[in-house]
Amino acid sequence: MHSEPRSFNRLAANDSSTDLLASLTHAKLIRIDRVTDDVEPWLAESWTRSDDGLRYTITLRKGVTFADGHAFSSADVVFSFDAAYAVPLSSDALSINGKRLSVTAPDPLTVVVTFPSLFAPGLRILDNLWILPRHRLEPALREKTFDRAWTVSTPPSDITGLGPFVLTEYVPGQRLTCVRNAHYWRTDAKGVTLPYLDRVVIEIVPEENTELLRLQSGQSDITNSEMPPEAYATMKRAADAGQVQLFDLGVGRDADTLWFNLKPGILRDDPRAAWLQRDELRRAISLAVDRQAFADAVFFGAGVPIYGPITPGNRKWYAASVQHPPHDPARAKQLLASIGLADRDGDGVLEDAARHPVRFTVITQKGRRSQERGTAILRDELKKIGVTVDVAMLEATAVIERIISGRYEAVYFRPAFSDSDPANNMDFWLSSGGQHFWNMGQKTPATDWERQIDDLTRRQVQTLDEKERIRLFAEVQAIYAEHEPAVFFVAPRVFTAASPRVVNVTPAVTRPQMLWAPDTVAVKH
Amino acid sequence: MLRYILRRLAFAAFLMLSVSSLALVLARLAPGDFVTGTFGVDVRSETAEAARARYGLNRPIGAQYREWVGRALRFDFGRSLLYDRPVGDLIPERAANTAVLAICALLVATFVGLPLGVISGSRDGAVAHAIRAASVVLLSLPPLLTSLFLVFVAARTGWLPVGGMTSAGGRDFLAHLVVPVAALALPLAAMFERLQSQAMQHTLAQPFVLATLARGVPRARVLWRGALKVSLQPIASVYGLVIGTLLSGSFAVETVTAWPGLGRLMLEALRARDIYLVAGCAAAGSFFLALGTVVSDAGLALVDPRTTARD
Repeated sequence: MHSEPRSFNRLAANDSSTDLLASLTHAKLIRIDRVTDDVEPWLAESWTRSDDGLRYTITLRKGVTFADGHAFSSADVVFSFDAAYAVPLSSDALSINGKRLSVTAPDPLTVVVTFPSLFAPGLRILDNLWILPRHRLEPALREKTFDRAWTVSTPPSDITGLGPFVLTEYVPGQRLTCVRNAHYWRTDAKGVTLPYLDRVVIEIVPEENTELLRLQSGQSDITNSEMPPEAYATMKRAADAGQVQLFDLGVGRDADTLWFNLKPGILRDDPRAAWLQRDELRRAISLAVDRQAFADAVFFGAGVPIYGPITPGNRKWYAASVQHPPHDPARAKQLLASIGLADRDGDGVLEDAARHPVRFTVITQKGRRSQERGTAILRDELKKIGVTVDVAMLEATAVIERIISGRYEAVYFRPAFSDSDPANNMDFWLSSGGQHFWNMGQKTPATDWERQIDDLTRRQVQTLDEKERIRLFAEVQAIYAEHEPAVFFVAPRVFTAASPRVVNVTPAVTRPQMLWAPDTVAVKH
Repeated sequence: MLRYILRRLAFAAFLMLSVSSLALVLARLAPGDFVTGTFGVDVRSETAEAARARYGLNRPIGAQYREWVGRALRFDFGRSLLYDRPVGDLIPERAANTAVLAICALLVATFVGLPLGVISGSRDGAVAHAIRAASVVLLSLPPLLTSLFLVFVAARTGWLPVGGMTSAGGRDFLAHLVVPVAALALPLAAMFERLQSQAMQHTLAQPFVLATLARGVPRARVLWRGALKVSLQPIASVYGLVIGTLLSGSFAVETVTAWPGLGRLMLEALRARDIYLVAGCAAAGSFFLALGTVVSDAGLALVDPRTTARD
């Protein structure tokens, strides 16, 4: 991993290092198979749904114990819900329209979960819930200090879970060591107790190139995250030479995107207010950029053109029927002319009616190479239609602060979708959502098309008929494509690598790409 | 002498306080904070505000600074937000790792750079030209590139471990030391060689050297004893500063070679906006620089007693 975990408590921190550690040491009631995208029973053995679709009765596996030998029961599930709701970060991920799920435990092996309203993905939402030991953490919850429990200074011996491994050592700046959980509950098809590995050592290597060189030289077995596109050629040669295994996981689900600040009134004293928030400007930008050339330059060809936030990598929810505009700079200029932006002095740069140049600043993340290259291409492509783009590269934290505070004109960034199912990404689609980046947290929808998307999204989430859900969401994507509040250009292909001795690894496009199913990973001797 | 030492100590204390204060204030004023970096964009504002209140990041900068200074004067630099440990515990651990690296690099650079400087400064042949050319190349390479190159060589040959301070459960500390030490020592050795070579050329042109040679003292003895001591002044004057800089940690080398030192800690602290850790690292860095200046002055006094007389 590239950085230290922020916490040993996954409910209190959501960084990728904490997430990886949780995958190794904890378990959930149900799990989303990162390859098939299906829900599979995990600590829950089975479940039934009530006729009204609101209540789920879950039967837990028998004989499951925590790594410290303490028996797992429905009380731990109820406790984990309470703990998750005590921490706003995890509470959001387990709420539906801001309302919590109600959980009861009629007996030690049964849990009843009641939804506040119909929620089409059903128990899929429980993929966000890590089951924690009540017997270890209840005092912290009672004393209202749960969000400070299991910090990185907690001795590893205090931490226990239901995952395949147990954390035994943390050397800050160097590594985390996990050993096999002797009480782990899963066996393979032949009845062999999992996990196969005796020990997993996670080295903290901040530099991406060093991480890949370690892999090539056989000094590590797996890289935790996807490879940067510029490393592909080198790693392909290493794969051809038998030094590594290279996995092409197909088109990713997340992509960089350009959006403008569409908050009403934000440009009150700005002479560019007349055009900077117009649909026509964004549509012109979308038409002006040659997406294939963009994919070739930014991702070295390993990417596919996209026109919205749902990429072809999200096979179930991607609406192929939505019309995609071709690369057409002439049409882009016409659109800009329709909002009064024209080259009035013949210098090749467009001006508005008051002769202000058509110019804006895009902020992006410094050090993230796909974004650095992407903004350079955008600048060049938009220059061809007379639009001047100034790029400001800021450190990640500064970019996030600007987005949250709304102090920006335009941003080129990569929002991450937590799940392939749009019902679990309501914050992006609903105008009131905190991830509705271009105009976050609206009290009432600012535009008619946002009102339409809100309505369709709510209907989609409350419809249990899957075909109808897909149809409604295709309609959402069509409205989105018409207005493009955030302009998407290319979705990168995702590549990961492992050493040749690693077997049974099933990489996925979402994090943790390589170790989401760590109990079946093995090495050849 | 006592006055001199007291003056230096007072300067070191002033430097530490002002540099760490500046670091704290700048890290606090920079856009974003620890909460923004930890939770990212997908967090509700109430969640972020609750976390800020918990970490004390919601207070006015003046109040925060006053409280921090009050504690810092008692050598309590606060608690790291990132590591949830007292900054005063974290820094000595990482400083010790950096010190190992720095001392080894300094020894290698000194024992390679100085003799090569004497050779290239006292001869004029193919060997001297080769030494000069190698030094110029090494001096031109930025540390990031040198580190990456050495890591690449280590990975390709398989002779040395790539990154880290030890392998898990391994006793291969010395093997892990080679790449980062080489990355730090090579450009340093080149700098010493260049300084020593020029000083040696200048010294050899002095009348006392000619006179000594005329008296029949062997050339090697003149070079390695008399002339060497006299020509050490330029290196002695920068030696302490080099020590201070090395002990403050190297961002590039420690990051590329995954060495858990002070430079990497500072970088992590800056990225995470861990303001107390940033201030603590800055205080440690300035302390080492002040220490380096004292060492430099002492070294200079050793090779040239006239400097002490001036003080």
